[in-house]
Amino acid sequence: MIEIENVTYKYPDSEFFALRNISLRIEKGEAVTLLGPNGCGKSTLLKLINGLVFPESGSYRFDGEEITHKKMQKPVFAGKLHQKVGFVFQQSDAQLFCPDVYDEIAFGPRQMGLSEEEVGRRVSDCVELLSIGSLIRRSPYHLSGGEKRKVAIAAVLSMNPEVLVLDEPMNGLDPRTCRWLAGFLKSLHEAGRTVVLTTHNLDLVEELSERSLLFDENHEVAADLPTGSLLDDIELLKRVNLVDECWRGRI
Amino acid sequence: MDNRPPELPGWMTGEEVYIPGKDKSAFVNKSILSVLGLLSRIKTQDTKAASKYMPHAVFMVFGTLLLVVLLSFSRGFTFPMVALVYLLVLLAFMDGRAIRSILKVSLIAALGSALVLLPAALNGSAFTAVLITGKVFAGITAVNLLSHSAKWNDISAAFKRFLVPDLFIFVFDITVKYIYMLGDYLLNMLYALKLRSVGVNRNKYASLSGIGGNLFLRSSEMAGDMYGAMECRGFTGKYRAVKRFRISPADLLFIGANLAIVIAFIYLGRVKK
Amino acid sequence: MHIPDNYLSPETCAFMAAAMVPVWTISVRKVKEEISKPKMPLLGIGAAFSFLLMMINVPLPGGTTGHAVGGTLIALLLGPFSACIAVTVALLIQALLFGDGGILAFGANCFNMSFILPFVGYYVYKFVKSRSKTAKGEYFGILLGSYLGINAAALSAAILFGLQPLLFANAAGQPLYCPYPLAVSIPAMTIPHLLVAGVVEAIFTATIFAYIRRTSPGTIYQGAKTKTKAIYGFIAVLVCLTPIGLLAAGTAWGEWRPEEISSVVTGVKALGFVPDGMKNGFSIKAIMPDYTVAGLPDAAAYILSAIAGVALLIILFKVAGSFRKDKEGGTLG
Repeated sequence: MIEIENVTYKYPDSEFFALRNISLRIEKGEAVTLLGPNGCGKSTLLKLINGLVFPESGSYRFDGEEITHKKMQKPVFAGKLHQKVGFVFQQSDAQLFCPDVYDEIAFGPRQMGLSEEEVGRRVSDCVELLSIGSLIRRSPYHLSGGEKRKVAIAAVLSMNPEVLVLDEPMNGLDPRTCRWLAGFLKSLHEAGRTVVLTTHNLDLVEELSERSLLFDENHEVAADLPTGSLLDDIELLKRVNLVDECWRGRI
Repeated sequence: MDNRPPELPGWMTGEEVYIPGKDKSAFVNKSILSVLGLLSRIKTQDTKAASKYMPHAVFMVFGTLLLVVLLSFSRGFTFPMVALVYLLVLLAFMDGRAIRSILKVSLIAALGSALVLLPAALNGSAFTAVLITGKVFAGITAVNLLSHSAKWNDISAAFKRFLVPDLFIFVFDITVKYIYMLGDYLLNMLYALKLRSVGVNRNKYASLSGIGGNLFLRSSEMAGDMYGAMECRGFTGKYRAVKRFRISPADLLFIGANLAIVIAFIYLGRVKK
Repeated sequence: MHIPDNYLSPETCAFMAAAMVPVWTISVRKVKEEISKPKMPLLGIGAAFSFLLMMINVPLPGGTTGHAVGGTLIALLLGPFSACIAVTVALLIQALLFGDGGILAFGANCFNMSFILPFVGYYVYKFVKSRSKTAKGEYFGILLGSYLGINAAALSAAILFGLQPLLFANAAGQPLYCPYPLAVSIPAMTIPHLLVAGVVEAIFTATIFAYIRRTSPGTIYQGAKTKTKAIYGFIAVLVCLTPIGLLAAGTAWGEWRPEEISSVVTGVKALGFVPDGMKNGFSIKAIMPDYTVAGLPDAAAYILSAIAGVALLIILFKVAGSFRKDKEGGTLG
């Protein structure tokens, strides 16, 4: 479903590579975690998958169709990709821009041309799924970090994407909410969604995804393995500077 | 309390069959490009390494302002042409990317000027049209040369030597810094809007109002944070000491070139019929 | 809305800068009353907000895009005096660091965008608000204030432009700066602002203000200062946010093209001008009285062209090289 071949990317006006010769495939229905030290390019890769940035060399195909800058200039093409791939940002602050939570979650479905009734149904379903019923008339700007994260997820889910991409979704969440989120993503995955996420929370990774990709400081893919094996290879994790000598392995 | 998520609703278990309707959302993409360009520009000037071939920022600032003023006063083509040759020489010292960036702005400005003045040119004011277009090209090249050659902190510090109060310089520096920080926030919001632009947005101004509004609220918060930080550090308003520096050969060369420019200006002015 | 350099004579520029001095002085004094002097750098944040606000492309009918200024919005959010300072700083940064032009015209641009626009907008709003007492009335006040504000600023710019050919021409009668007289500059600038830009500005201002009012009304400037200590930090925060719009490099000229050109051309036609140049044919002599560069001795001219030639070659090589470097994906560094 997601095919990335020999992709290299540099930010404009920069000498430095954000992504270097990355190749990977993610099939429909998989759950994959991207791991790696800060600055290795994980977030950039997520932006690429969502059609926000485009490879300098190499190609990105979604569902067999190559995603290029030119094609994404066409609103119909872009709209289709954005509906199929939902992106939850690391900073929920930047993701929410509607006056209240209802509008926020209704934004996507309304654009899709659904009737107000259908929109209302989707909103209430999402709200129930994420247990944010009490927040419906609140302004997203004033919510707590965890609440914002849930609203952001709801706002993305209401468009019913096939793929859910999350950038460090555990960031800033308390341990209880982290567990809840892990379970939630797992149930989405079990229902057939493709899930791609980045995280530093090495304890929850195995629960979230069967497969993990490890990035190194050279902005390349260092390993693509079943999560368990990857996390057990402590030397590998140290080599890419994801952990230091104090790391004793996962719980 | 049960921490397990509930069952997924029916519409979520199936695949969404969706063909987007046509809509014009150029404004989001254009805004994103503008902000990206802005952030990149600010970042680039910050990573500039000091070069011993560059004159000191103070002289560059003065030289640029001098040139802009003289251009404005000139009444014929000769001086602007002399200025242009001088600018070309300066440009030749810059690296390729900077040259492109500088020329892009000045060429677009000159083109715009030419278009605006075209009706006047056709109506008998061709002299004026060409003169202004030429001056616009030269003037904007000069200013962009400055902003691409010196670190912006150094440019604002240079104004201290022009007796501008510390306070103004500080505000200037703060503004640039926050343009970057708020710009990054704005960029992410624009991305968020773009990502959820899956179809027809009937109320584009409503989306913009959320983005603009959040931008204000965020800047409000940042101001509050900065205020708190200033309080905690007992901020009294002393900002920056003037850095002493030695005049280098590059400085002398630059000053010499500027003197030549002034002399040329006066000379050409005398020669005027 | 932004006046570029070389369209106004240096004398005009100096005059407008001088006119701004009292405005700036009073604004600084008024702002100091609200926040203490050491805290004034917080205005920089407001200036940043303003700068960014103007970068945003707003959708126009027909699928094109434009820009709003937001001067009235800032005045509403932070008060008119803070707005003045914030817009001023943003305009300075735009002119000096982003090189869009407007260094000498800085005083004039400030006069239009940091003085007229916010103050007209703010006081019209206050006037309407005091008369109406309803929420709808207040909203109308915002729409009207920002609409009138930007049109007043446009008119002021138009007058500055239009006076140039009247006052500054050379011995041959050729205008040295903006060549369009008042009869052309006024309709050319005011019509697009009355019909399009003003409406955009009004909607932009009102919708954003409404969002902020709904989400966080406490952050908005409350008008008269209260001197209780508790409010100090509050007011400082309010005062700091002055959104200043600055057009991104290049788009300023993009804005000129469709609106200004068409209205100037139609304006000229409507007023019955028959372009003289078209009657007599277009010749180089009309532009340059002499083929040689007037005033320079031949030797100097030769040397200059040689220098220019070499410099151009170097520039071309460097630019070509930079394209290649981008393609190959990076230098050795």
